[in-house]
Amino acid sequence: MKMTLKISDNILRNVEKPSRYTGNEWNSVTKSLDKINIRFAFGFPDVYEIGMSHLGSKILYHLLNQREDTWCERVFAPWVDMEEQMRKNQIPLFALESKDPIKSFDFFGFTLQYEMSYTNIINMLDLAGVPLKSSMRTEDDLFVCAGGPCAYNPEPLAEIMDFFLMGEGEEILNEVLDVFKAWKNEGAAREDFLDRISKIEGVYVPGAYQVQYESDGTIKSVLPNKSHYPERIKKRIIKNLEDVFFPDKIIVPYTDIVHDRIMLELFRGCTRGCRFCQAGFIYRPVRERTPEKLLDLARKLQENTGYEEISLTSLSTSDYEGLGDLTENLIKEMEPLKVNLSLPSLRIDSFSLDLMEKAQKVRKSGLTFAPEAGTQRLRDVINKGVTEEDLINSVSIAFNGGWTGVKLYFMMGLPTESFDDIEGIADLGNKVVDAYMRVPKEKRGKGLSVTISTSSFVPKPFTPFQWEAQDTMETLREKQRHLKGMIKNKKITYNWHESQLSLLEAVFSRGDRRLGNLLIKAWEKGCKFDSWGEHFKFDLWMEAFGECGLDPHFYANRKRDFNEVLPWDHIDVGVSKKFLQRECEKAYRGELTSNCRVDCSGCGAASFGSTICTG
Amino acid sequence: MGSHLRSKFTREEEVKYISHLDLMLVFERALRRARIPIAYSGGFNPHPQMVFGLPLSVGVTSESEYADFEFHAEVDPENFKSRLNANLPQGLKILEVRERKAKGNIMASIAIASYDIFVYLGCSYDIIQERLKELLSKTTIVVQKKGKKGVKDLDIRPMIHKLHVLKLSKNEIDEKLNSKFIDLDRIHLNEDNGIYCIRAVLSAGSNANLKPELLMEAIKEGLNFDINTLKIHRTELLVGKGGKVYNPLDPVVLLGE
Ligand code: SF4
Repeated sequence: MKMTLKISDNILRNVEKPSRYTGNEWNSVTKSLDKINIRFAFGFPDVYEIGMSHLGSKILYHLLNQREDTWCERVFAPWVDMEEQMRKNQIPLFALESKDPIKSFDFFGFTLQYEMSYTNIINMLDLAGVPLKSSMRTEDDLFVCAGGPCAYNPEPLAEIMDFFLMGEGEEILNEVLDVFKAWKNEGAAREDFLDRISKIEGVYVPGAYQVQYESDGTIKSVLPNKSHYPERIKKRIIKNLEDVFFPDKIIVPYTDIVHDRIMLELFRGCTRGCRFCQAGFIYRPVRERTPEKLLDLARKLQENTGYEEISLTSLSTSDYEGLGDLTENLIKEMEPLKVNLSLPSLRIDSFSLDLMEKAQKVRKSGLTFAPEAGTQRLRDVINKGVTEEDLINSVSIAFNGGWTGVKLYFMMGLPTESFDDIEGIADLGNKVVDAYMRVPKEKRGKGLSVTISTSSFVPKPFTPFQWEAQDTMETLREKQRHLKGMIKNKKITYNWHESQLSLLEAVFSRGDRRLGNLLIKAWEKGCKFDSWGEHFKFDLWMEAFGECGLDPHFYANRKRDFNEVLPWDHIDVGVSKKFLQRECEKAYRGELTSNCRVDCSGCGAASFGSTICTG
Repeated sequence: MGSHLRSKFTREEEVKYISHLDLMLVFERALRRARIPIAYSGGFNPHPQMVFGLPLSVGVTSESEYADFEFHAEVDPENFKSRLNANLPQGLKILEVRERKAKGNIMASIAIASYDIFVYLGCSYDIIQERLKELLSKTTIVVQKKGKKGVKDLDIRPMIHKLHVLKLSKNEIDEKLNSKFIDLDRIHLNEDNGIYCIRAVLSAGSNANLKPELLMEAIKEGLNFDINTLKIHRTELLVGKGGKVYNPLDPVVLLGE
């Protein structure tokens, strides 16, 4: 039976960007069906341009396709115009490479990069004709799984997913597929497969766990139904980043995607320990690649893609010790090929400015800084090791070097924040303008523009602030209004994020498995692409909460007790709850915690045996 | 060997949904993969020195596209062809490469383009043939053209040089319309309707340019039958020189003899 679908001109002519759905890009992988045993659909629950920009997905796509027995294909969320065409023409969700219906695959794996993509997962399952809940799937259905940063609190999707993969996927995915192959050959029962993979460290089969609640709605316990399931699921990490698989070719898309370039991953993890930042805790400990390895990868990727730009990506790239050498060597090799280097999120000092100038020949307009909070007091609370002096020094260097645009990012609603801290944001903005004015006219560029952006703080699992209440929407709006009133200088523009979306993010980031029904309810009402302003329907969400008998404020705006059982307590990311509590208490005392490179603060991640922790 | 080459290439079904801008990027990256010493413009934002003939609309295929390339070293045409072909995605293929000595790049000199327009019609061959004849017998054919400054009237008659309709055999249909994007199963053929090929030779380029899509609108106007464009395929591009038209690879054009 030929299953391949006709995604015909009639359909493609009626959508805005047909090349999102046609595939066939350079380095995309096609395989012959009679030579493989496993079909894996790799789902990114957003549009092509966003999904194709994600480094982790690129790595896993090529990793899976290295297996001779497996064909991994991509699936993105069809944009609303395409979805309309698909539903009208009865075209089920299909894989980009083969155009085969997803239903005929063995796995449908999603990467969870942000909570507000969850309704797209529901929509994609529905378009694929796959039962939405794990409990509704039968022997005829494929397995639905997920991984990625949001999977560390898997509970909101616990009823949707058959299993989760915790941590970095390079090894665990292969182990799961090996088990699958044996299981498929034996023709054993569906449940048997889940039983078998539950023995792999890092695999979480949520259907095998029972959640008990207290009368006040908090959790009493989360325990496995069966004795052989682990009580706690420990994340996986790749200990040796130097030797782990990294693709030497990546897909080169035809249409402009968000990050259309080679991305070189210098290291994983971050040593700084900013207390609001989930990435700083869940990716511990830090592991690096050597400059030699990176140069070699860059060379191969460049040869195989022809890309005109290489970017260095890591959580805080400035922390990479060999950065100077690496960039110098990269520039030396890439310049003659007309390949640019881009350096994101650098801490600004004269060294990095010099580097940036060499690398990019950038237009001297935009530099970004993230002080995150307006006063030193609050920056100490969040352990953001940046002082006002640092910032003013950095911008002064930049203004002296001809830069004229500065973007300042802040978070609003951080624990202990008062109106003094809000006013501090405006003050900092003014001081940046002053720093520009102090530069002699003939030295500075023309047309200063300072942009202040505030986002609303969302407390995240596995951070020292995981017990905190999010400010209510009313409070956040009041703070935004106050700041707006404080900013009088015409050179300063103020942008802020809508707090409605932040409320939902706060609900889902710390939600429990009762949210599964809410998700389906909201989707039934028409919620999808929630992170796309024009499609975000807050009122429908609120209706869905009401109908499901759930209170968003219980999840978002409630301060938890240190003793409360949190929905993700049975997941072990290596960082201990005791450590997080200690960090939270230090935050309230305004005490700083040092960088892992300077001093180990005993977070627990040393158990993974990485050199940074063990010296 | 030469530092200026002109190449003829195809653009098939697989890549027909790429915009003209994106197509240039596809070539730029393929050239870089192939390590071909393409020349770059100077300045802040260096661009590879390549010029394409007449941009194709999104969704249109072609067996006759042209591009000029300039290098910072001497390049052998055959070597260029094989190296670039090894690095182009499915659907793009260099057919022929010649050295170019004369001035005048391909874009500036395009004059004529020919198209095969495959249509599915709710009427018989005789009727469509009749209607096309009628259309051609007019001295003016005014259509509304949407431009940047709004809609304006345009007489397209002087830009139509040839226009006729061909019947297609079952084999020809299978061969020419065998695309993963065309759903022939949905079409029911019988005596009084069918798939035909409208062959059109039209003005093209910077002086006068008639897109096949606009021509089809004009034809639609004069028919009271359904007409569905299944596929538009460019078969030829010609350049003008001293009042005559030539193949872009003609020595007269390339060497200025
Ligand atoms: S164990 Fe120490 S060095 Fe290792 S990640 Fe934790 S705090 Fe940093």
